[in-house]
Amino acid sequence: MTTTRIPTGISGLDEMIKGGFLPQTANLVEGAPGTGKSTLGMQFIHQGISACDEPGLILTFEEFPKQYYRDAANFGWDFAAHEAQNKLRVIMSSPEVTAADLRQINGRIEMLTDQIGARRILVDSLSHLEQLTADPVELRQITYEFINGLKRLGLTSVLTRENAALLGETPDSEEDLAFVVDSYLMLRYVELQGAVHKALLVLKLRGSDHAKDIRQYAITGRGLEVRSRFEGTQGIMSGAPVMTHAEAFAAAFLSPPGGKS
Amino acid sequence: MPDADDFAASLMDDMDPRLLELIRTRINSFIKWDLVRFFHDNPHTTDTADSIARYTGRDVRTVEPELQQLARDGVLMTEDLSGLRVYTFTGEKDVRDLVATFIRACDDRQFRVKAIYHVIRSLR
Repeated sequence: MTTTRIPTGISGLDEMIKGGFLPQTANLVEGAPGTGKSTLGMQFIHQGISACDEPGLILTFEEFPKQYYRDAANFGWDFAAHEAQNKLRVIMSSPEVTAADLRQINGRIEMLTDQIGARRILVDSLSHLEQLTADPVELRQITYEFINGLKRLGLTSVLTRENAALLGETPDSEEDLAFVVDSYLMLRYVELQGAVHKALLVLKLRGSDHAKDIRQYAITGRGLEVRSRFEGTQGIMSGAPVMTHAEAFAAAFLSPPGGKS
Repeated sequence: MPDADDFAASLMDDMDPRLLELIRTRINSFIKWDLVRFFHDNPHTTDTADSIARYTGRDVRTVEPELQQLARDGVLMTEDLSGLRVYTFTGEKDVRDLVATFIRACDDRQFRVKAIYHVIRSLR
């Protein structure tokens, strides 16, 4: 039996997640500033509209819709045209109003979903729900309720979350959210041989197999492109990987002086 | 013979009468002007006075009475959402179209000067 997938349209990522996200799931994309979380989310929305005839919503707690239009235009995605064609709605609202709205019958998000037949949503970013409470147990409940509200509307969501750590592991206290989402993608900066690279890992994909390796990715003029896995290094997610023993041995003894073979 | 004030007023009245009416009766303060522009640019926003004040970079004590006035004048809608008083751009197409015409007209410096003149007169 084959399961319908919701492709992200991101080169390399769909292959890692076996064709796309599962329908009506909540998919967390977590990373440090500048790693491309919002770009990944916008690409997911753009792909839905332009290639799958699946209208989308962008729910933002901070950025103005114009910012998304500008950012999307940099990748050749015409979000203003998508809006004009009733394929996209960019909604800016506060976390408290959004959470209350989702609890309502016929709330604004539900109305907009119905109005354009939205199938996808980007929530940018889930971190703002933290403004609603300092209690981690209550926050988890609010987040769970919020995610279920989106699923009830039939939406497949990409939820971004900021990670303050530029390099290295996430603090333990931030891992709670991983239990309430269906998939968990981590974007990381990696320092390797004097340069900063970007790494992507699919940590979890509920109900499906997925690639377990850590891949390099780049943000190009066409959006995110996931490339090959990191070879010959270990400790990638620590942010400062080291060469594997085999690679270190080869570098020390097999390469001739001056580095030319 | 008309005095200088009357002459200036007649020059400043030289605009689309629907826009003149809009400025005189509904967008008759600079805060309202900002708020109307905000909702025109963000037509799907529903939010509290606190948040809207933050988005527009204003003090909520200044913004809230103006939001209430705009709601009374039919430019915005207001409702109670789980105990939160929230504001949304009106769903009335005629009003939205008129606001869009006003925002487009503001691209023209001469129009802006006239609009500012009328707002200042309203504030006197």
